[in-house]
Amino acid sequence: MDNEDSTKTMLVVLRHAPHGSSWLREGLDVALVGAAFGQTVDLLFLGDGVQALVKGQQQGPLGQKGTHPTLDMLAMYDIDTLLVDAESLAQRGMTEADLQLPVTLVTASQLPHLFSRHASVFNF
Amino acid sequence: MQLHLLNRSVASSHVYRDALRAMGDDDYLLLIEDGVYGAVAPLVEHFSSIAGRLFALREDLESRGLEERCAESVIVVDTEGFVQLTEETERTVSWF
Amino acid sequence: MTNTTTTRCLRVGNREIALDPEGYLINLSDWTPVVAEALASEEGRVLTQEHWEVIDVLRDFYARFEMAPAMRPLVKAVGQALGAEKGKSLHLMKLFPESPAKVGARLAGLPKPTNCL
Repeated sequence: MDNEDSTKTMLVVLRHAPHGSSWLREGLDVALVGAAFGQTVDLLFLGDGVQALVKGQQQGPLGQKGTHPTLDMLAMYDIDTLLVDAESLAQRGMTEADLQLPVTLVTASQLPHLFSRHASVFNF
Repeated sequence: MQLHLLNRSVASSHVYRDALRAMGDDDYLLLIEDGVYGAVAPLVEHFSSIAGRLFALREDLESRGLEERCAESVIVVDTEGFVQLTEETERTVSWF
Repeated sequence: MTNTTTTRCLRVGNREIALDPEGYLINLSDWTPVVAEALASEEGRVLTQEHWEVIDVLRDFYARFEMAPAMRPLVKAVGQALGAEKGKSLHLMKLFPESPAKVGARLAGLPKPTNCL
């Protein structure tokens, strides 16, 4: 499901939606810095964080940059494991087909394992 | 084993739900700052699934006038106890 | 972050190009190949065909992702665009000694890469 040897992998948890606050961008920045320094990085989209993956996003009304180009860029940083909490997605009336990138769905019972197994957890 | 920190009131933020869902069977949850509002009945019932593993920070209860009203099921710790919890656990995860 | 403090200007033809303290363009739209040549020659660099193809990769990266790449993604982007032979840090280090991600971004008219050393 997640990276095979997740005991050496950092987990960045994204729990905030785009545009409303800077938490999502800050979480993505931490993921990119980790990857730029050679770490293996898994991303977990939880709660409103799943909104970051919604298709068809644009920049803000005042021209503020969105986070969607950054999500498209993750593959260039070899961040390929995008985990999505299935319950958060369903609660918001969405399915995988509504997302801009291919993801791996995580069930409720897998969630605690993600937090305990990774070498480090960064919660945003 | 992990120590989860929650600094939002269960009355105004749903983040506690994500924290509970992410917690393992032996993980601890420590309520700090506005999180301590959840240490009082009836709000404390939101944490019934982690009975015995729910802590609240004394200083934050005191400053909010809640120390007397804190539910008996909640284990109250001071800053020193907080430090002990972090030593006992592998890492802390903050929910905000 | 793009630094908005102009510390000096570079004269290119009859234009004054504003630069930040680290030599990055203040206005990214000022960039032209001539500006790149001027920035390079100021540092004693001569841009060859091999430099230009990397500059193109950098500008394409920024157009797609709105960020200047760190070294790791730059190597990957160069490999994808120009082939595995060139998608190596060694090749990029030869073209842009010191720091390919930073020097490359400066010459390509991108902001300074935020997530690299």
